[in-house]
Amino acid sequence: MDDIITTTDLRKSFPARGGAVAAVRGVSISVRRGEIFGFLGPNGAGKTTTLRMLTTLLPIDAGSATVAGYDVARQPQQVRTRIGYVSQLGGADELATGRENLLLQGRLYGASKQQVMPRAETLAKLLDLADFADRRVITYSGGQRRRLDIALGLVHEPALLFLDEPTTGLDPQSRANLWEHIRALRDGGTTVFLTTHYLEEADALCDRLMIMDHGEIVAEGTPRTLKQQVAGDAIVVSLRNGDLDARRAGAAVRPEPYVRELSAGDGQLRLYVDDGGTALPRLIRLLDESGIGIRSISMSEPTLDDVFLRQTGRSLRDGGPDGAQASARPAEKETAR
Amino acid sequence: MKTIRDTGLLFQRHLTELVRNPVWLFVGFSTPILYLALFTPLLKHLAHLPSNAVLDLFLPGILALLAFSSGVSAGFNTIFELKGGVIERLRVTPASRFAILTGPILASMAMMFVFDAVVVAVGAGFGFSVHWTGLPILAVLLGLLMVITSAFSIATALVTREISGFAAVVNGINLPVLLLAGVLIPMSFGPAWLRVLAHFNPLYYLVQSSRVLAGGTLTGTAVWQAAAVLVPLTALTLAWATSVVRKAVS
Repeated sequence: MDDIITTTDLRKSFPARGGAVAAVRGVSISVRRGEIFGFLGPNGAGKTTTLRMLTTLLPIDAGSATVAGYDVARQPQQVRTRIGYVSQLGGADELATGRENLLLQGRLYGASKQQVMPRAETLAKLLDLADFADRRVITYSGGQRRRLDIALGLVHEPALLFLDEPTTGLDPQSRANLWEHIRALRDGGTTVFLTTHYLEEADALCDRLMIMDHGEIVAEGTPRTLKQQVAGDAIVVSLRNGDLDARRAGAAVRPEPYVRELSAGDGQLRLYVDDGGTALPRLIRLLDESGIGIRSISMSEPTLDDVFLRQTGRSLRDGGPDGAQASARPAEKETAR
Repeated sequence: MKTIRDTGLLFQRHLTELVRNPVWLFVGFSTPILYLALFTPLLKHLAHLPSNAVLDLFLPGILALLAFSSGVSAGFNTIFELKGGVIERLRVTPASRFAILTGPILASMAMMFVFDAVVVAVGAGFGFSVHWTGLPILAVLLGLLMVITSAFSIATALVTREISGFAAVVNGINLPVLLLAGVLIPMSFGPAWLRVLAHFNPLYYLVQSSRVLAGGTLTGTAVWQAAAVLVPLTALTLAWATSVVRKAVS
């Protein structure tokens, strides 16, 4: 068996005013040994809740999960010794030094102090912590702290590491640096399961990913195959007269033979075409003949956002990192859990 | 045994944290001394007693008060750790859930005994009569009360999850428990119904027994009553709080 995680119809609801709110609605996944597997979705999609169930932190309502060869609900201790988990919040002791944190964490996994010391040394080197390992954590920068958090999750050499939004709040440089570290872990044989709401991160980092929305999996595959599902090129046209024109333009363009998919709204026309190079001049001519003013026009190869848009009818970017979608559904805000 | 080992590790962790927090240390030392310095003259005036007699009456109650208030406030740290992801970090390890609860409680207790020793030493300087036989037994009862209040406080913090809800619960129980314990004002000043009500307050038994024990009497009724109330209550709160740690979310 090459799957390090398998789940069947995993479900979780939280009590809320006016009845239970389903945060995870039947998630079935399989993660292969040695890959970087990603959960992509907006805040509130149920990513963290799923992760908490897989890491024994949250009781499972229904369905089953096997992690690192053991049933999560029935053998939580076995699972705990085999996985590492780094929460969004980190959780290092601020008044202790990085090294003290590592030593304690290793000992909580049952190792002796003598066993942990060389391991802490190795991890400090691996994650570039050596220079400040003996300083108190409260003095660390955001990126340094994140790397310590990850080192804490790795101290017992788990075969599987869970990272919940590992790069949230980091500057672009620290983010790129952390990606390198995560790739190095995978290359060293560790399976990495991460959640993210950054498209670029999922695209650049994950070998395989699932897109999650409202507690359900809406798409799965490698970033490449997912993007290939959205055929050809994406063209976005901003219209001068907003919504009124968008509707007219939609009606005018839809019958054209080169249009694979089309959506019109918010003063924009968004369409997917087989070949942008031939479609674009024809599209511009048609709009011009119909007397529809163009404000701007852009063409791009499909991104994971196009995949998300196609599956859910919404853009991941619209909401931004702390998206409007998430705050409009407060009951599903998973960070509060 | 694993539980004992884990408790030791988490005891050490919390103790290091306490000792590295200078503000907390300063307040910890100064609060009981302030109580003594401010209340002793007041009681002396009120009861027309010499200051050594007032200390004999009042100082044991201060020790009980210290155990209660440091226990009840334990949950504030829990909320802080919850927000910082510390609780999750510990709960995802195979460490004993009982140890995750009791390690920090025992560390705070060790610090409390240091503060207690300072209070007794300072009090002795001003005429408090030290009876070496009663104080160790008093220490056991103080420890039990601290376990009860800390475990209750930590579990309440894990259930309420937010500082506002938790603070409301703590403030809500603080006033009646302290008033009905007879620490600052003796219960004998109050009407009969108030004295009856006091018998439902675990702190009341500790305060009563603390006076007897500090006076050197080991087998007074108050001592047995305190033990009979505190021991089962300790077991009960620990069992409940451990189950809360097991299921705690976030």
